[in-house]
Amino acid sequence: MIEAQSLTRRYGDFLAVDRISFSVNEGEIVGILGPNGAGKTTTIRMITGFLPPTSGRVTVAGRDIVENSMVARRELGYLPENVALYTEMRVQEYLIYRARLFGIKGAEARQRMSEALERCLLTDVREQIIGTLSKGYRQRVGLAAAILHRPKVLVLDEPTIGLDPKQIVAIRDLIRGLAKESTLLLSTHILPEVELLCDRVMIIDRGQIVAEGTPDALQESWVGNPVVRIELETPSADAAARFAGIAGVVDVRPDAERPARLEIECESGRDVRAEIFRAAVEGSLTLLELKEAKASLEDVFVRLTTTEEARLGAAAEPAAIEPQGEEVPS
Amino acid sequence: MNGIWANLVRELRAYFFSPLAYIVLTLLMLINGFVFTLIVSFLNDPRAGGAAAPMQLFFGQTLFFWLVLLFVAPVLTMRLLSEERRSGTIEVLMTAPVTEGQIVVGKFLAALLFYIVLWLPTLAYAGLIAYYSELDWGPVASGYLGVLGIGALFLSVGTFASTLSRSQLVAAIATFTLLIPLFVFGLLESLFNNEALKQAFGYLNLWQHMDELAKGIVDTRRLVYYLSATVFFLFLAARSLETRKWR
Repeated sequence: MIEAQSLTRRYGDFLAVDRISFSVNEGEIVGILGPNGAGKTTTIRMITGFLPPTSGRVTVAGRDIVENSMVARRELGYLPENVALYTEMRVQEYLIYRARLFGIKGAEARQRMSEALERCLLTDVREQIIGTLSKGYRQRVGLAAAILHRPKVLVLDEPTIGLDPKQIVAIRDLIRGLAKESTLLLSTHILPEVELLCDRVMIIDRGQIVAEGTPDALQESWVGNPVVRIELETPSADAAARFAGIAGVVDVRPDAERPARLEIECESGRDVRAEIFRAAVEGSLTLLELKEAKASLEDVFVRLTTTEEARLGAAAEPAAIEPQGEEVPS
Repeated sequence: MNGIWANLVRELRAYFFSPLAYIVLTLLMLINGFVFTLIVSFLNDPRAGGAAAPMQLFFGQTLFFWLVLLFVAPVLTMRLLSEERRSGTIEVLMTAPVTEGQIVVGKFLAALLFYIVLWLPTLAYAGLIAYYSELDWGPVASGYLGVLGIGALFLSVGTFASTLSRSQLVAAIATFTLLIPLFVFGLLESLFNNEALKQAFGYLNLWQHMDELAKGIVDTRRLVYYLSATVFFLFLAARSLETRKWR
């Protein structure tokens, strides 16, 4: 449904998006994840045709967004990050205006409007002036306007930003419902959102896709080796050496601040917890805690986008990281 | 067409919901009423000679007419596109299936319609004169034609200026800055002895134009000037809106 080929966008000398390629299939919910300033909004603006790419191309439902813009725009519903609305208008006036922009008139427009109002739970506030609505309601008005023309593709830029937890849950439910009819692309910097909503995730950092895959696959492939965390009653100097001697253990790292805590990295696919326990007993070390640590998507995200190590790694092997649509290097 | 119509209706509605529109309307009625009263009392003086018709003086012979026009155009147009850019509504607007040209034309037409509404009360003056004395409706009609033509030109300049900035104030000042030379250039006509230059400036002399039109002289060259300049500035506005993409 969405096909992006080596999209690049420069603002003057600043390279905001660097040769991003990806595709979104029909019926999928794809999340773009990335820290602030990673190029999420720029990417989304290029997909919606608001910004033309410096190079590369985008097709929406098979139509080029630059070359065949007017046709492609009809297939597209868009909720921008700031959800700007005309504050002096009433909710239903605004929706009728939006319908008119898409060439939907008269009874048809009114019917689409009440449909959208109902779906977005806005029927109670239809007479209200948009300027008097809360942020959560405005977000829903923006969504209602985006789905009014029944687009095949729905693009949402940070749809839950600035909402309270209750509103976030409501918007997520709504998004899940919309996904039944449209293909969805949404950007966010909130991790649980991606895990909850998306079939597939792209992690963007510094204008490049650094990882792509299902949330589960990302977790697995980026976890690296399984890690067991233990806590001893008292710190012991030879504990590290003792545990490192266990077959299958790759590395033992004591916690810098609390030396009684150790992180034991083992070969993937091996469960060494029993051996660790026995080794602790042999060495007369008292275990307070023994736990298999599971990396969350958050760990993946942090590793990919924040640590200096990941950045150096990314720079060192760009070829391994750049290709799209492939499994992430592990 | 959808894009033009939808934006026209929305923008026109926005005018009637904004207090500024009513301030402008009130001010315009006060000034025009004052000017009209002055003209009538002046012509009632036997020493005036009764050479001129009141509506003819009303259109273009007084400085007030121009002050009003130079003030109204920036105020009516400053919001049009700068506000879309400031608030960010331009993003959903420009991702709907409408072209820059349709947006500009829709908004300009809304401004023009509201401008026409602003002038409607002055029809009462013509009515008053027709009631108490004789009125030649021909020159009145051509006077209004001038009001419309020059108004359209000024509003198109304002529409263009409002694409230049996110700030309404900057847009208004830019409009004023563009309109002043447009208005003053023509007045330089009398400074030149060179026939070609005199003619060139004469072509642009809006004051002279209004004087002619108020007398009932409809010169198509004038109308071509207003129309082509209006189209030119609207074209610039659409182009300027497109450059947003390349910044």
